Amino acid sequence: MTAAAVAPASRKPLGRLGGSALALLVLAVIALAHLGLGARELSPGTLIDALVAYDPAQFEQFIVRELRLPRLLIALTVGAALAVAGALMQGVTLNPLAAPDILGVNLGAATAVVLATFLGVGGPGTLPWLAFGGALVTSVVVYLIGSIGRGGAMPLKLTLAGVAVSAFLGSLISAAHLLNQDGFDRLRVWLAGTLTGRDMEVFATALPYLALGLAVALLIARQITALGLGADVARGLGVRAGRLRLLALASVVLLCGAAVTVTGPIGFIGLVVPHMVRAFVGLDYRWVVPLSAVTGAAVLTAADIVARTVLAPQELATGIVTALVGAPVFVALVRRQVH
Amino acid sequence: MAVVRHGAGAARMLRLRSPGERLALLLPVRALLVLALLGVVLLTVIAVSAANGSYPVPLADVFAVLSGGSASDPQLGLIVREFRLPRTLAAALAGTLLAVSGACLQAVTRNPLADPSLVGVSQGAAVAVLLVLIVLPGLPGGAVPAAAVLGAFAVAAIMYALMGRDGAGTIRFILTGIGVGAFLSGVSSLLLTYGKLEWVMPALVWLAGSVHAAGWGEVAMLAAWTAVVLPVMLAASRGLNALLLGGDVAAGLGLPVRRALVITVAAAVAAGAGAVAAVGTLGFAGLVAPHVARLLVGERQGTLLVASALVGAVLVAAADTVGRLAFAPVQIPAGIITALIGVPYFLLLLWQRRHTL
Repeated sequence: MTAAAVAPASRKPLGRLGGSALALLVLAVIALAHLGLGARELSPGTLIDALVAYDPAQFEQFIVRELRLPRLLIALTVGAALAVAGALMQGVTLNPLAAPDILGVNLGAATAVVLATFLGVGGPGTLPWLAFGGALVTSVVVYLIGSIGRGGAMPLKLTLAGVAVSAFLGSLISAAHLLNQDGFDRLRVWLAGTLTGRDMEVFATALPYLALGLAVALLIARQITALGLGADVARGLGVRAGRLRLLALASVVLLCGAAVTVTGPIGFIGLVVPHMVRAFVGLDYRWVVPLSAVTGAAVLTAADIVARTVLAPQELATGIVTALVGAPVFVALVRRQVH
Repeated sequence: MAVVRHGAGAARMLRLRSPGERLALLLPVRALLVLALLGVVLLTVIAVSAANGSYPVPLADVFAVLSGGSASDPQLGLIVREFRLPRTLAAALAGTLLAVSGACLQAVTRNPLADPSLVGVSQGAAVAVLLVLIVLPGLPGGAVPAAAVLGAFAVAAIMYALMGRDGAGTIRFILTGIGVGAFLSGVSSLLLTYGKLEWVMPALVWLAGSVHAAGWGEVAMLAAWTAVVLPVMLAASRGLNALLLGGDVAAGLGLPVRRALVITVAAAVAAGAGAVAAVGTLGFAGLVAPHVARLLVGERQGTLLVASALVGAVLVAAADTVGRLAFAPVQIPAGIITALIGVPYFLLLLWQRRHTL
């Protein structure tokens, strides 16, 4: 961790409450913009009517309720899940570059889903479990590879291990595609990470797991802060590091697996958002975790607005937008935070 | 010609002299034997690849075609000459280019993890080629290699601007390359997902590193490319050897180290771009081949380059053969096989450096 990251929170420009208020305000504005913007631009009055006094006979209200609102809900939930997972991973591994996509967890979940499709097993109900399995195996493998040798899980080793495992899984996915081209066109867009035409049934299946993962994250947030103070201090404060890591792993697997089931692997939200949040509230994870959820929801929703509007009437996969914005941030983080 | 020993315990060296010693070469005997053996392995892989497939061809016919004669059955001869041979040769030459590119990048950056696809050079070439294939499909065929070179050099310039001269030996360099590569892959996905399907499908197969459509045209291009970059790299290799002793020693020996570095980097980037232009992105071949070569012949840059070239050729030609035969009639692009082999090797390298990273 850098000197900047351990500076006391009181010197932050806005403070915690101010930052929280700002994040919620930004989220509300972005969510409304998400509902209002698109192929047909809708007035704020229509939005409010659709939300509080829904009349299905009105076509514009129908668009809001049946097309845009489900998509907004998915963007908010998945954005929050990925950002919280990233915050947990960065907090537990003390690695500023840890994130669900960088360490291969998202792609692990996606690989399990692709292989299941390839082998023709599994339905909507079992998809999350396959994704959890893939995410779990990948997390454990990457963490083990990354923590061999002196010094344990050093940021660079862990990151390189994650990148390498991702490359391996990416090749497996490509091979599976080529061997089963029928499912290819549907999976091609899903694998780029998309919010277009998502299945609300799948979303409903995934939602309880997302809620559970988020709840676990909020419960362990205080102990993660202690872990950041050093192993000895954490032990003195009564934190059992092994158990904490297992709980964090469970939460990350639930959040990433469920998120990937719904939208496919969307990158860089989990990397970038926790850094944004820590810049405002410091290293106290009781604040970092909930605010990462709020900010992640806002960032993914904003990326989705860009994906829908920038090339209209064509739509981009939302994951492409987050990669194009997030990869330069990754490079900047490597330059600034890794020595 | 004489076999001599230089210093106590040194390797046996073969000394070649032109009359009057205007030119003299000192070659390690062991390395020469290894190179000869690698050549035999390469020929075997090419022959096996040419003999196997949906129409098995007797090895005798393969050798007849290879040595310029004609096969017992003209149809089998046609299969070998027009389909299998150009494809296998294209794979071998692409492997050669990637391997020498990786060997040079590893030597210049002093970074054992350097590889054209890990420092973003391959992705830069790929994005430029995709632009030509998908956005400007009307351009003539010569535009593809030109675009690949432009894209690769643009990324090399960006990496230099980001990292400077001193950053190249670090893991940060690789991570920065991975970040730059991720951005460029995003641009590639953008082009692929939203281009016209008729342009995208061939581009997609190309991008995965497939040589299945390679004909004699690709072979000629790759061969010409190799014929240019490999001698340039070999000429610059003396300066790089001196650099292994440290920059000051090299300067003291009066060798133009800086020029050797610049030439080597340029040749490495061009080599990576040539491979990408012909057969797409083949990940990890450029990483693995130089390491295998180093195990076989040691650190001397000259022999290392030649050995890397041969190992790379064997690796990619074998990967293509496996990808073609393992799930026939479905063909797995060689790039996927090299990644499946290369990633575990990458992790092994990481493990070997587990205490020093």
